[in-house]
Amino acid sequence: MVFSSRRKIIVSCVLVAAGAAALIYGVLFHSTNISPAQGTDSPASAKAEPALIKEVTVGGLERDASGQVKKTYTDKAPQACPT
Amino acid sequence: MAKNPAINCGANRLTPSSLWRGCRRMWIQSAFLLLWLDPLGLRLHNMCGPVFHCYACPLATFACPIGVLASFTALHIFPFIAVGLLVLAAAVFGSLVCGWACPFGFLQDLLGKIPTPRFDLPRWTAHLRYAVLIGAVFLVPYFFGKDHPLFVCRFCPAGGLEAAVPSMMSQALAGQQIVWPNALKLTILVLFLVAIFFMRRPWCRILCPLGAIFSLFNRVSVFFLRLNPDKCTHCERCHKLCQFGIEPEKSPNDLRCVRCLECTRCGPGALTLGSIFETSHSTNDMADHRSNCTGGY
Repeated sequence: MVFSSRRKIIVSCVLVAAGAAALIYGVLFHSTNISPAQGTDSPASAKAEPALIKEVTVGGLERDASGQVKKTYTDKAPQACPT
Repeated sequence: MAKNPAINCGANRLTPSSLWRGCRRMWIQSAFLLLWLDPLGLRLHNMCGPVFHCYACPLATFACPIGVLASFTALHIFPFIAVGLLVLAAAVFGSLVCGWACPFGFLQDLLGKIPTPRFDLPRWTAHLRYAVLIGAVFLVPYFFGKDHPLFVCRFCPAGGLEAAVPSMMSQALAGQQIVWPNALKLTILVLFLVAIFFMRRPWCRILCPLGAIFSLFNRVSVFFLRLNPDKCTHCERCHKLCQFGIEPEKSPNDLRCVRCLECTRCGPGALTLGSIFETSHSTNDMADHRSNCTGGY
């Protein structure tokens, strides 16, 4: 695919804007409900995406058969990624 | 056998400026490495970095974007931060990130300086990266979750080298039972370590899903490799300078290019790093160039 100069500027600017918009939305607004690990009674709570990223880096979240995202631990988070 | 790379890190007369010019990329890669290795102990694992560096590494400032993409896919959550960061970085720099900032690429570059025979890879192997991206980062996590052996983190050699090996060493030093990584991860890690000595950047060229993402943006990124057909003498020196078997004067923004910019050292100066905002009558349109050279086809 060959892009003319002007089209290339438009495509690049649209991509930069889309990337920046997704990044800002993820940092500031996006959150997901997280259920506690099995065996605890506390209700599900919303977690912002940066906190979700931190959780997945230690394998702290999993998706159960019902489709809910829940924690894999009860009190202290794992130290490192299980993989 | 691969062409002899024309890297000359250093010069005949070593002066500070010649040392900078000769090893400019290595200096910049070292500076980025320092950033990724978390010298201040910040552990900013709630944010992705734009490079391939395992978050399980004891020295990792940011989370690995590929690990985050795959983990979020397994959870069926859209990863806005990882996607936004990757699209932003790729739209601005394209594969420049691979050539100048990635610590895993830097490691392969450093080991690649050991003088051993190097072999070229068939062109089709570059497409395996897209299979890894689609399969191990999106499809397998989405349908089978994180426990499947083909989940990307379960065989990633960066994770093996930067996380599993230090973890095993610390377990051995502490006299604890050593927890070995799975057989697939070990096999790929060993194959990768052997391949480094016989190929240029084997991981980046064959399997890297992050490089696959960045390469898709090479033709539309803000910074790109610009060819000035008026200056090109078809001396093919750029072919010899390119370590990745690309013919830069024919496809300067090739999907396999990691933008090391070695080809810009060609004699006539026909290849340069340009940006979309620079006005030039030769804005890198290969079709124009080819029609100038061949009478059009």
